Amino acid sequence: MTPKWYRTWRSVAVALTLSASAARATAAAEPTNAPRAGPSGRPTPELAAGRAAYTQHCARCHGAQGHGDGLDAKRFYPRPRDVTLGVYKFRSTASGTPPTDEDLFRTITDGLPGTNMPDWRHLDDSARWQLVYYLKSLSLVFQQTQPSPVTVAQDPGPHDAATQGKALYEKLGCAACHGTAGRANGPSAAGLVDDWGMPIRPANLTQGWAYRGGHDARSIMLRMLTGIDGAGMPSYAEVVSPQEAWQLAHYVERLQEPAHWNLIIRARPADGALPLVLEDPRWAQADRTDVRLRQAVAATGEWVAPATIKSIAVDALATNDAVAFRFTWDDPSESVKGSPDAFALLLKPAKSAGDVVTLHAWPYVGAPALDLCAWRADTGQATEELATTFHRVFAPSRRQVSLPSTARYADGRWQLILHRALQSDAPGTAVIGAAPLTSVAFAVWDGENAQARAVSPWVDLALRRKEEDAP
Amino acid sequence: MKRTPWMSPLFIATAVAIGCGGGKSPNASATADPDDAAPQGSAQLAQTPTSAPGGAPAAGQRTVDSGSVGGTVRLVGAAPKPEPVQMNADPACQQQHATPALSEEVVVGPGGGLKNVFVYVKEGVAGSFPPPTTPVTLDQSGCWYHPHVFGIQANQPLEIVNSDATLHNINAKPTANPPFNVAQPVKGMKTKKSFAKPEIMVKFKCNVHPWMSAYAGVVAHPFFAVTDEQGAFTIAGLPDGQYVLEAWHEKYGTHTQSITVTQGAAKSVEWTYNAQ
Repeated sequence: MTPKWYRTWRSVAVALTLSASAARATAAAEPTNAPRAGPSGRPTPELAAGRAAYTQHCARCHGAQGHGDGLDAKRFYPRPRDVTLGVYKFRSTASGTPPTDEDLFRTITDGLPGTNMPDWRHLDDSARWQLVYYLKSLSLVFQQTQPSPVTVAQDPGPHDAATQGKALYEKLGCAACHGTAGRANGPSAAGLVDDWGMPIRPANLTQGWAYRGGHDARSIMLRMLTGIDGAGMPSYAEVVSPQEAWQLAHYVERLQEPAHWNLIIRARPADGALPLVLEDPRWAQADRTDVRLRQAVAATGEWVAPATIKSIAVDALATNDAVAFRFTWDDPSESVKGSPDAFALLLKPAKSAGDVVTLHAWPYVGAPALDLCAWRADTGQATEELATTFHRVFAPSRRQVSLPSTARYADGRWQLILHRALQSDAPGTAVIGAAPLTSVAFAVWDGENAQARAVSPWVDLALRRKEEDAP
Repeated sequence: MKRTPWMSPLFIATAVAIGCGGGKSPNASATADPDDAAPQGSAQLAQTPTSAPGGAPAAGQRTVDSGSVGGTVRLVGAAPKPEPVQMNADPACQQQHATPALSEEVVVGPGGGLKNVFVYVKEGVAGSFPPPTTPVTLDQSGCWYHPHVFGIQANQPLEIVNSDATLHNINAKPTANPPFNVAQPVKGMKTKKSFAKPEIMVKFKCNVHPWMSAYAGVVAHPFFAVTDEQGAFTIAGLPDGQYVLEAWHEKYGTHTQSITVTQGAAKSVEWTYNAQ
């Protein structure tokens, strides 16, 4: 039995790691596929040094012998790689051939955004090279097969990504998995399994910050030409011309939507009644805030399915009486029957000042009640109550009060408008604006992936007054 | 699924096998006594053309074709019901099947003949055999691999064809040979591959259509076969000598059997797998 302090510590550590990688991925402007050779060149291989570095930094997840079965392995999805197989996803080499040393060095240096593999830039170049040599010593593949780098042609430019790139995206069948708009909702997306039989999801191409191997056009083209070994992504090296490859890479690059990560949501003042229509032009005045979501699996503590909902975008507008939120999140399937898609906005109840509770852990024995503003796709209704469990999202009760809402699902994306009065009718609930910052958090359910819910950290909601909001 | 038992060239060999295998242990039975085969088999044989194409032996004959080894693989016990395959993930696949395609994992013919068993000479072949230049074709049609199980000589060309107007990826998972996973997004596309080293078996799958699977037996020589709807196989042109024959089935595993080819003939090989 793992002690509670340890579980909490892990969640915090993992959340920190993830938000750090996400921020870095957004900030990184330089092409991430250029190998970063150390200024002094490569050191001479010393297996003992590599083994020591591996044991210290890698074994906890990848296992003492490299079988991907370390202490924390089952808490991660995707699982840590079994490095003894010599199968690596992010390469510059032909499908089925091992990565170059530079490929491995790059992955160790930059980490894999969107996974729990952090970057290891804080280790000096020499240690990272020793890790590369040591990893290669763990698999016979590197002795049996030579890496065969793919040819990356010069970018011919100029690009007509909007028409030619889009036509290629359709012709090459990308939408079968990635979906027509790139939201990981293609018809084959839900049935994918990797070469080890684990369910796997295609990349959501609108989320550049979660591209594992780099989100610039050159990295995208490498994934297309080399495929992603072990995952379903095949190599297109034999079926696209260099010019086509660049066109498509630039098209995919353009599918990425900028994420505005922030821990503060600013609700700007709205003119007139709060909007309850998704297309209301006043939403354009709202400051979009993106918040990262993480899967919480309460029952077993093991991750058995890939995350399908990874972030949520929040727009907020306010009057003197109420706040209107517009939430946008990608969910590859619309579930209204059986196990429905659902959403919850959580607030801390009026009398709970200072209570520390993460949604990853909540609810736990003795946990405080939270103010639960929940919406579910089957009824299309939103309600609010004080609750001590997430089950209340799916169980109507007399204590619940109704909240105005509008929702729509289209092509892999939910949009939901929720209105919440600053002071709610439900007894004991939070008063928004009582303090300059109001804590809010979000939980999202994908009915098709019902075992897991995606939850956010607590973020702050700030109401901007009209006089503060001068342009 | 096509099943034309009376047209199969090897039906008679199968019928013999049906007659002699009942009640034997689920393990590989030794060469059967064909004399026992007559009563049960002959009733059906009477209705069967005796000059079946492909040179199948006549009923009651002690051995199969000269220079060949042949036999039958059967499944005893209740065969699993073939699962219908849902293809609603891809309309381009679904519209090609008026009725759902059935899984080819276990295909049992009349009398228990087990289809899609790969049979090859595992030991005893001397000399080297230049690989044929004619390619083996693996066709993707109706979002289905044709054939489901096949043999290929090491270094013989393999031509993988997409006959469907939809994306397929060919994800081959050999262990002795380098793996590959390549896309064929457009109808009519062909990809040439080969496997340099013998390997039993190489699995092919399509991630886009996860119900698709195929298996190739890569052998250093031409002495291999795949059982037909009746569970029958023939391996031709085997010189006199002693050999070990192996049968491989994707669900039920392998059987091995020593055989002797004398004066271009060998006793028929009868294998049974237990469905339980």
